[in-house]
Amino acid sequence: MLSFSQIASDVDQWLHKVCSPTWALVFEMVIIGVSVIGLFAVLGLVLVLMERRVAAWMQIRLGPNRVGPQGLLQSLADTLKLLVKEGMTPGGSDKFLFNLAPFIAMIAAMLLMAPIAFASNFQIWNINIGVLYVSAVSSLSVIGILMAGWASNNKYSLMGAMRSGAQIVSYELSAGLSILTIVVLSGNLGLNDIVLSQKDGWWIFKGHIPAIIAFIIFMIAVTAETNRAPFDLAEAESELTAGFHTEYSGMKFALFFLAEYINVFIVCAIGATLFLGGWMPFHIGNLEGFNHVMDYIPSSIWFFGKTFFLIFLIMWFRWTFPRLRIDQLLNLEWKYLLPISMFNIILVTVVAIMKWYF
Amino acid sequence: MDGSTIIFYILAALTLGSGLLAVTTRQIFRSAIYLLFSLIGIAGLYFWMNYDFIAAVQIVVYVGGIVVLIIFSIFLTHQTGEKLPSPTLSRQLFAALAVFCGAALILVQLYHFQYTGTTETALEPNVNNIGMQMLSTDVGGYALPFEVVSILLLAALVGCIVIALRTKPQTN
Amino acid sequence: MFITNYIKNVFGAVKSLAVGMKRTGYYFTHHKEIITEQYPDNRDTLVLADRFKGEVVMPHNENNEHRCTGCTACELACPNGTIKVVTKFDITPEGKKKKAVDKLVYHLELCTMCNLCVVACPSDAIKMAPTFEHSVFDRSQLTKVLNQPGSKIMDGVE
Repeated sequence: MLSFSQIASDVDQWLHKVCSPTWALVFEMVIIGVSVIGLFAVLGLVLVLMERRVAAWMQIRLGPNRVGPQGLLQSLADTLKLLVKEGMTPGGSDKFLFNLAPFIAMIAAMLLMAPIAFASNFQIWNINIGVLYVSAVSSLSVIGILMAGWASNNKYSLMGAMRSGAQIVSYELSAGLSILTIVVLSGNLGLNDIVLSQKDGWWIFKGHIPAIIAFIIFMIAVTAETNRAPFDLAEAESELTAGFHTEYSGMKFALFFLAEYINVFIVCAIGATLFLGGWMPFHIGNLEGFNHVMDYIPSSIWFFGKTFFLIFLIMWFRWTFPRLRIDQLLNLEWKYLLPISMFNIILVTVVAIMKWYF
Repeated sequence: MDGSTIIFYILAALTLGSGLLAVTTRQIFRSAIYLLFSLIGIAGLYFWMNYDFIAAVQIVVYVGGIVVLIIFSIFLTHQTGEKLPSPTLSRQLFAALAVFCGAALILVQLYHFQYTGTTETALEPNVNNIGMQMLSTDVGGYALPFEVVSILLLAALVGCIVIALRTKPQTN
Repeated sequence: MFITNYIKNVFGAVKSLAVGMKRTGYYFTHHKEIITEQYPDNRDTLVLADRFKGEVVMPHNENNEHRCTGCTACELACPNGTIKVVTKFDITPEGKKKKAVDKLVYHLELCTMCNLCVVACPSDAIKMAPTFEHSVFDRSQLTKVLNQPGSKIMDGVE
């Protein structure tokens, strides 16, 4: 049967046959790098189109429908436009940092791809502290935003960057705590191990009340961490024109734009892995026949299906709720999400010790 | 020279080079960014040594916490494009003296340290072992230092709140 | 009680968010309600709102008669000098001189479609028309004379 893990091991064996282990490793790294960049490009195109379609349908509009059949080539045309646009650097800016910032944002998003389990036995880096690695590296992305805001030498950019910094630093706490609930339940930090622990049911079902609370808090916190509406204070078109990327144009702007969508994909992939079982098919306890039928659907389809469901959920938030004010934003985090998730951690510890999960 | 050594030298060059740039640049924000790269280089070295947990904690604490705080304080106190004045001669001399003394101390210690080999198998540095060791009350366990550090942090937190607390105006 | 208020707040917030998401979810799944007009393609079947204001026109009946008395109320009402009424004096059958409109000059390029002229008109001679395809290559083409050549005032309009 053709699967991602089969292809990966075939390529690995072939490379080891034709060249020395060091060169095989180098070639594998190159292949991984190219395929990650390819995945980025495809995801960028697909997610931008998806966002515009979802937004349109939720606002009783049609959305892009002119370029190509059903408007499918719209984001390709947008990319072409951004590629040929001039990437300007404003006069009074810190040119080195200004040009570095989009790449920092992009590299942080790229590093986050490493521990995600895309299909069964198909992972770039099976690191045993996967979840901790993700929450560590995701804190790098704020640096890119802060750098862009400072280097632009623009009041709007600076304010956007400061808001974004305060927001990401505070929402990281409740995102981390809600991730911890699943770590406590499964007893593992590696993403693949967490997926394997959901063989007889996903954690959102097995962990019942605490897992559901954690899932809701996780979705709210990651929406804030990726700077998307209703938490898009860092961009806030109506107040700050475009926040930290006001001064960016052309491909440099496109990199920020792409990094935002890649971050959305990654946090949804993490959410799908932790709460919805990652690539694990939908299994109900010991129902052999039903589980067997579900196993026929390839694991990569399960993974991408769940991830895109969560992405749709985040888009649904974006096109439904109005933007929060900065004090409301911080109130929500420090007075509601953080106390509730701390209480939830205690609850889930009791559940895990007493083995009350299914 | 194999690939691993090459990677080590790249990481070491990144750490030292950006550390040097952090203290020589005249623009304070760039200084913070170079410090960030230096700390990331150290995290890279931990990854290179397969100490994944320490590396991730290095990134969380230093990159996600301390550098962001430094950047925030720069945002609140400086302007873009401002250059710092270069330090006076006496300061430079004292700094050079301090660096020399520190380097000499470390080199002497390194020179005198007896690197004795051990036949014991290394403990696997995974999270399970780290957690067990951190909270163990046996000989060599870290439960007491861990708790003492947490009391220190609690005191710091309370202190912060006391400083930031707005005293209620007297209603007479 | 603080705790009950807190919990009530949380559940109230979740409930109100769910209401909003239900509405957008309804629109997302019901594509029949889409209100987008695919404009140049559906020019023949385009339906504009009744109160759409695109341009000031002066309706004429089949005998080429209008209702304008040349009273210049519209010119006075216009906030930015869009309308200029040129008057003349007609001789009535009784031999009296009577004021009438010669040319009602309308500068579309200055008009903000504020509807004040239509409101000010005492004899309902002008109204707003729902046309909007006004783009031309030369600005002078936007200066229009509203009363048709050779037209005269309808009987019985004072």
